[in-house]
Parts: sequence; C-alpha cells; structure tokens
Amino acid sequence: MLRNLRGFICHSLKLERGCALHTAHRDGLSSVSSPERPRAVFHTSESDPAKHTEQHEGRLYNIPLEEVNAVFPHGLPHRFQQQIRTFNEARVMVRRPALELLGYLKGSNLRHPAVRYVIYGERGTGKTMTLCHVVHYCSRQGWLVLHIPDAHLWVKNCKELLQSSYNKDRLDQPLQASVWLKNFKASNEHFLQEIKTQKKYMWGKRESTEEGRPLREVVEQGLARARSACDAVGVLLKELKLQSHRGSFQLLVAVDGVNALWGRTTLRKEDKSPVCPEELTLVHNLRKMLRNDWSGGAIVTTLSQTGSLFKPSSAYTPQELLGKEGFDALDPFVPIPVPNYSPREFESCYSYYLERKWLQHEKARTEDGKAELQFLSGSNPRQLDRLAGPL
Amino acid sequence: TLRLICTTTPVQRKNAGASGPEKYTDAFIKKQIEEFNLGKRHLANMMGEDPETFTQEDIDRAIAYLFPSGLFDEQARPLMKHPNEVFPEQRKIQWGEDGRPFHFLFYTGKQSYYSLMHETYEKLLNVQKHQDQLIAQDLPLQKEKRNLAGSRWLTKIELEEMLVEKVSDDDYSRFIQLLQKLVALPCADIEEKYIQKFSKEVPVQLQKVVIEPLQYDERGVAFSTGEGKRKTASATAVVYDNGTGKITVNGTDILHYFPVLQDREQLLFPFQFLGRIGKHDTVCTVSGGGRSAQAGAIRLATAKALRSFVTEKEVEFMRQAGLLTVDPRVKERKKPGQEGPRRKFTWKKR
Repeated sequence: MLRNLRGFICHSLKLERGCALHTAHRDGLSSVSSPERPRAVFHTSESDPAKHTEQHEGRLYNIPLEEVNAVFPHGLPHRFQQQIRTFNEARVMVRRPALELLGYLKGSNLRHPAVRYVIYGERGTGKTMTLCHVVHYCSRQGWLVLHIPDAHLWVKNCKELLQSSYNKDRLDQPLQASVWLKNFKASNEHFLQEIKTQKKYMWGKRESTEEGRPLREVVEQGLARARSACDAVGVLLKELKLQSHRGSFQLLVAVDGVNALWGRTTLRKEDKSPVCPEELTLVHNLRKMLRNDWSGGAIVTTLSQTGSLFKPSSAYTPQELLGKEGFDALDPFVPIPVPNYSPREFESCYSYYLERKWLQHEKARTEDGKAELQFLSGSNPRQLDRLAGPL
Repeated sequence: TLRLICTTTPVQRKNAGASGPEKYTDAFIKKQIEEFNLGKRHLANMMGEDPETFTQEDIDRAIAYLFPSGLFDEQARPLMKHPNEVFPEQRKIQWGEDGRPFHFLFYTGKQSYYSLMHETYEKLLNVQKHQDQLIAQDLPLQKEKRNLAGSRWLTKIELEEMLVEKVSDDDYSRFIQLLQKLVALPCADIEEKYIQKFSKEVPVQLQKVVIEPLQYDERGVAFSTGEGKRKTASATAVVYDNGTGKITVNGTDILHYFPVLQDREQLLFPFQFLGRIGKHDTVCTVSGGGRSAQAGAIRLATAKALRSFVTEKEVEFMRQAGLLTVDPRVKERKKPGQEGPRRKFTWKKR
C-alpha cells in the first residue's frame, strides 16, 4: 500500500521535474533532493538478493564491481558487460521470475534430491539475467556455484578435438575445458581450498593426485596439462556431487543453454562423421551432473535459442528446444517462464536510461517518445536495449 | 497545231491540288448511319435481346464478348459506334455554286475564329453601354462576383472541336484574355448565358470518400475496418478502441512477424501521426508481396480504419501527409534488348 502510494506520487512528481517542486505531498517521502528522486523510485539500495521481495519488483539493484568480477568471471551476457563498462556500475532488474526462483530456493529442503528448474522464454526476455541474479544470491549465501556460461560453446566451433585418454570412445576439448577451469577457479577460490578429494586419481602414467588433497590441485593439474583438462573437469564434477550429497556444502549447478547438451553438434571427427554430444567428455560429465540423484543443492538451467543449432528461430518452449531425449532426461523439472517487460518494468528501465543520459535524443524524453519506444520494442528487453543504443 | 494531251505524271500530280484530309460526302455519311442502324439490329438479334432497346453500352459489351482482344490500348480494340462519333466533324463546302463563299470572313482564313472574336467584342460593348446607362441613372452597379474558383475556361482542343477549325496558341490566348476582360466588368451578368458556353465546372478535387461510421462489437467496443494494398500485398486491418497498443498480424505478434525495425516503424506511423499510440488494438491479416510491401499495406489499412475515429480536419492532415494514398509504384517491366527495366547490357567496344 505504501509502495503503491509512493510509486504514484513519485510518478506524478517526476512529470513536473522540470519546474520547481514545492508541493505538500512530500511529507511522507524521503527528503532526497530533486535530481535523485527518480533514482529513489526505480532503484533500490538493497544489494543483497536474499532480501529482495515483491516490493522490489521492477526495480534495479546495484552489484558492487568487485563482486561482479569475483562472482561472474564468465557468466554475464556480452551486451550487459559492455553496459557495465559504460555506466561504471552493474544494475540488475529484479523481476518476477527471479523472485519466484529465489522463493523456491529459500524454501527448498536440501535433504531432498536436487530440484531442477528450467528458465525458458522468448528471445531476449532476460533468461540469462535471471540466472545471473540467482547465481549472485547463491554466492552471497555461501553456496558453491558451478556456473557454465553457455553450453553451446562446448558443442560448436571447437578447433581441437583429442581422443580421450580415459575412455577411447570419447573426445576431449582441451581449450574449452581449460578456459572454464580458469574461470571456475577465479570464482570459487576458498571452496577449492577446503574441499578435499575422496579418491586417488591418476593423470597419465606419472602424475597423480592423492586422496585428501584440496581440489585446487586437481584444477591446477587440469590447467597445467591441457590434455587432462577435460578429465580434471570430470573429476571435479564427480567430487562435488559426492560431497554435496554428504551435506558439507550447498551446490548450485547453473547451466545456460542447457538444450545444447541434447541437441546435435556441428563438430566432426577426422573421418567427417558427425559427433554426438554423448561422445564429448565435457557434455557427458555435465549430463551426469544434471541428473537428480544427488541432494544438497539445486540445478537451475536456461534454454537458449540464440546459440542453438538446427532449431527454428521461433522455438522457445522446453519441448521444442530440448527434444524428446533432453526432455526425458530433465523430466521432473520446474518450468519458469520469463515474459517481456511489464509496463512497470518498462518504465523503470526507461527511466534508468534517461537518468544515465543514455537516451540523448530530445524526443526520447517526451511521453510520446516513451510510447514509441514501447511500441517499437514490443516491451522486449533486448529490443529496447538495441533501440536505445543509437538514440 | 498539236496540243499536248498526255502529260507526265509529276505535272498531273501538281495539277491535282493540295487536298486536305479525306472529305466525306453527305450521302456517304448517311449510308454509314443506315448501315450502323441495321448492324445494330442484327447484333441485337444475335445476342438474343430486343432490337428496339439496344443501347450503346449493350453494343460495346456485345462487341467485347464476340471479339475478345488482349491489346492494351483501348482505342486499338474493335469498336462499333455511331458514324458521327467515328468520322470527325468536317466542314461542308463553304461556297455556293457561283463560287462565292457564304461567310463574310471566309477570306481571312479563320472565319469561325474571327466571327467568334467579333461576337465576344460585341457583347463587351453591350455591357459597357449598359454600365454607362446605369452610371447615368445613378443606380448602383451590381457587384455579384462570379465564382471563378469552381470553373475553368475551355481548353484549346475543346475550342477547336467547337469551331471545327484549327486555332493557334496565340489566337487562343487572345480569346481567353478577351473573355476575362468581359467577365471582369461589373455588369457582366447580362451576358452570363453567353459566357457559360465557354466555361466548364472543375470537378471537386477531394473525391468525396465516404468515411464509414464506427461499428460496435458484442462487448460494446468501437471498431472499424480498413483495407490497403501495396505492390502485390493486400491487407485488412480492424482497429479496436480502448486498447493497449498491441498489434496482431496473421495471428502473431508484430515483434515476431516483423523482426526488422523499419517495418515496425511503418506500422507505428499512423498512430504516431495522430498521437494515439497506446490507445488502439489492431488485428490484421495480410498476404502477398514481400516484407516491406506487407508493412506498407498494413500501414495504409490502419490509416483508412483510423479515419472513422478522427475528425475531418485530421483526415485532411492524414491525406496531406500521404497516409491515405495508395502507393502506385510497382515493378517496372523488363524491356527487350536490355538486361532489366533500366539497366542496359554491358557495352563492349568490339
């Protein structure tokens, strides 16, 4: 009720921003000076996702830049990273799907098998950003975050394919694995120090990792020896699964573009025969991770059509993008649809751009300009972002 | 003395005299008219209709049915019309048996033109005399302005048809100047009938397009329909009142149907022009053409539908902005000897 009143009054006052503001309405409001009042409406100073509630819906919250580098070495969408660099701050909008997910996570019982959540929606509606919001929450809560930024990167455009030493049928991708290991290390330093291996692992004939060594050594082994990077990843995933099952820490598996794991690949073997995703070590291990036979955490995934291979551009539902195999594999999951911006969210995004002087065109500041932007972008976040760029 | 009887052909040809266009005799024209009427009765018989009430339109339809032609030029197709329309009006012989011409101005060469000028000047003098009389009697001069805005003078071609002789440009302009001088005088109302022979009504520019009233559907929401075409694409749009500004095309959202910004801007234009961006809902169906043509067709259709919601002045603004005009541009035909409509083949020196 208070929120509604405040929103309404602030909105009406925002319209008179040009002229001097001396109305009696301001009694109940904060005594912030006029240039900051719009900031008070559509921004929230609550930077801990744990405390985000429906009251904060439609508002943008700030993530300090150090945290951004620590938590998201590789997770954010490219355009958002550019925006961070331009505006010198990372503002993420709190939206209903994210709040829903956070509610589920807060209420989930960690002793039950891990629940799978699939975030789906049309192109450019904010699925990856929702995932990042959830990842931020979990990292704040102290969970171990296993974030795979885009599974599509593992099934296409791979220059080197090696035959795996562990299993003759499978193929390794040293480059992708080492890149991912590096980022994982950057984001979860302290965990790697604490968690110890449960078994002895042999890397080739000479090197091996003893039981009880910190996982960091496994990671470093993978980074040092490109050949065994994929195996290092596999070992890592297995260990994490076992140990979170035991309950020593909570594990969040966040995969973006999960439909890549069950589709087709564009890679070919040396005899020009196409490669199935099962034949790739990384994909195989990740699929094992996504099975809900472990407890002590949650699995949050996103479907993505943009990077997907051989799928029509109008496909966005889980059935279409995952295919039968993927759907069966992920079967009991909680679907979370992500719609376009609601009018309130659109307004808050628009006023954020105005405030940061991103919209330079004088007509963009008028009500007509706002209506035009809403029409032309169809309240789609990506379209709005691309439209607002040249203005 | 021998007289030269057989002359050479060039001499003979010179003596024949310069003859103008073929002259039709009266008897010839009469025969043609009889043949036409007979042929009309035969045609009516053939088509199974009543010969008495067989009009020119029926003749045209019958000929088009019996002799179908794919020619583009209307005048090249077979036609059957009254001889008076087919054979151009001609001068009958202007002089009598003794060689004396009938008209007194025959030897000027342009007898009808000069007689017309004389008549008009006579009327002018009449008017001036009348004016002098009124001034002498101290009566007020009638000052009723003729509405010159809605009428125009005869064109040169129309004047030529009226006089059945050629009129040069100079002569035509002098005649029009004289007429204007006549009309400018205050008491020209006397000769109104004479002037009306030479003036024509200009058809009203704004073809009065009937703006349909709003219709109401079951829920009580006002809506109106419009149709638009652009370059093989045709669209129908239904614009509902009290909406949120959503547009649905062929069952899908415009964001999915038109991924390109340019097409969506075209759709936005009518609403933006009237300032009603978020107020109407639209449901459209479109087929044919390409991406841009479909966008243009829907734009025209929505503009036509919006006419019912808007005042007449705004309709006029829309028309001037070009929102209500059908775009006549279509793909130009490829010509033989060229690679495309305009592009010629590469010129090779040898």
